[in-house]
Amino acid sequence: MDDFEKHIRENKHLFDEHKVDKQKLWQHIDSELNTTSKVKTVKLWQSPILKIAATIIILIGVFSLTNLFTASNAENNLANQELKDIETYYKGLVSFQVQLVENSTKLLPEEKEEFLSFMDELDKEYELLKEEMKKNLNNEYILEAIVRNYKKRIELIENLLELINDSKKSNDNEGYIL
Amino acid sequence: METNILYTHKDLVEKSKSGDRNSQYQLYELYVNAMYNVSMRMIGIKEDAEDIIQDSFVEAFKNLTSFRYESTFGSWLKRIVINKSINHLKSKKIQITPLEHHEYHIREEINEPVNTIDIEKIKKGISLLPQGYKQIINLYLIEGYDHIEISEILEISNSTSKSQYHRAKKKLIQIIKTL
Repeated sequence: MDDFEKHIRENKHLFDEHKVDKQKLWQHIDSELNTTSKVKTVKLWQSPILKIAATIIILIGVFSLTNLFTASNAENNLANQELKDIETYYKGLVSFQVQLVENSTKLLPEEKEEFLSFMDELDKEYELLKEEMKKNLNNEYILEAIVRNYKKRIELIENLLELINDSKKSNDNEGYIL
Repeated sequence: METNILYTHKDLVEKSKSGDRNSQYQLYELYVNAMYNVSMRMIGIKEDAEDIIQDSFVEAFKNLTSFRYESTFGSWLKRIVINKSINHLKSKKIQITPLEHHEYHIREEINEPVNTIDIEKIKKGISLLPQGYKQIINLYLIEGYDHIEISEILEISNSTSKSQYHRAKKKLIQIIKTL
């Protein structure tokens, strides 16, 4: 940079020779800034794209809500159906076997009573589980517990029947030995 | 030190970003005269320069959120003013870059001690320059841009900026000598 350039750069403030009417220009700028900000807000509210977007959002909201509702209903129905199936299957089985036990002549009345009181206990437990199921339909654990309850009854009956058969066998054996 | 300069008027800028009209006015008051002179030097017509200043401040305040202190607020604003002025000249089809074929052959270098050259004479000399030369002299000597920045502003190559500036300077000195 030569002296000529330096001379100009050092004195460049002297080139600012014009004065501007600050207030007059500011009025324009101020009003321009005001109108643009106003127009912006109005535009946002009246924008058709925004309206469509809002409608879509509302529709999606309503749809997902109803969807959620029907879905949970379907789920409940499904759980109820499952419970019914379990009930009909095991009830039949259990009542048949209980009948067998009651009709059995080979069992002592005490043994029968013991067995039936066990069955009564399990019946109570089952009722409790059913109540629980109504309160909290969506619970897999309760369904499993109900199934376990039934299985226990069947196990109990099977044990009893085995006992009857065993005593039969031992009787036979005795007879045979004798 | 440099960061301190970049954050000049940070408070005012931040408040202006959130739309505080009072802070915007304070910034305007600080810079309006300097910006007006920048525009006047490029355009030379009072009414046009005023319009450009109004537009520039409106645009600056509307887009202030995009200002991230990569330069000072003043140089960011000045760039808006210069771009608007250049576009204005373009829209009026006024030559903003020197004519490539318009050569000046000045062989002798000036030996006269330059410090004695009156600034008023230089001003007059610049005003008598052809439009294209005037812009490049203003941008380089008075606005303080380097050739890379000038090449961006005028959309010319770096080397064109350099060669045109040297021609413009020679022409300016020649004119001053005749004054």
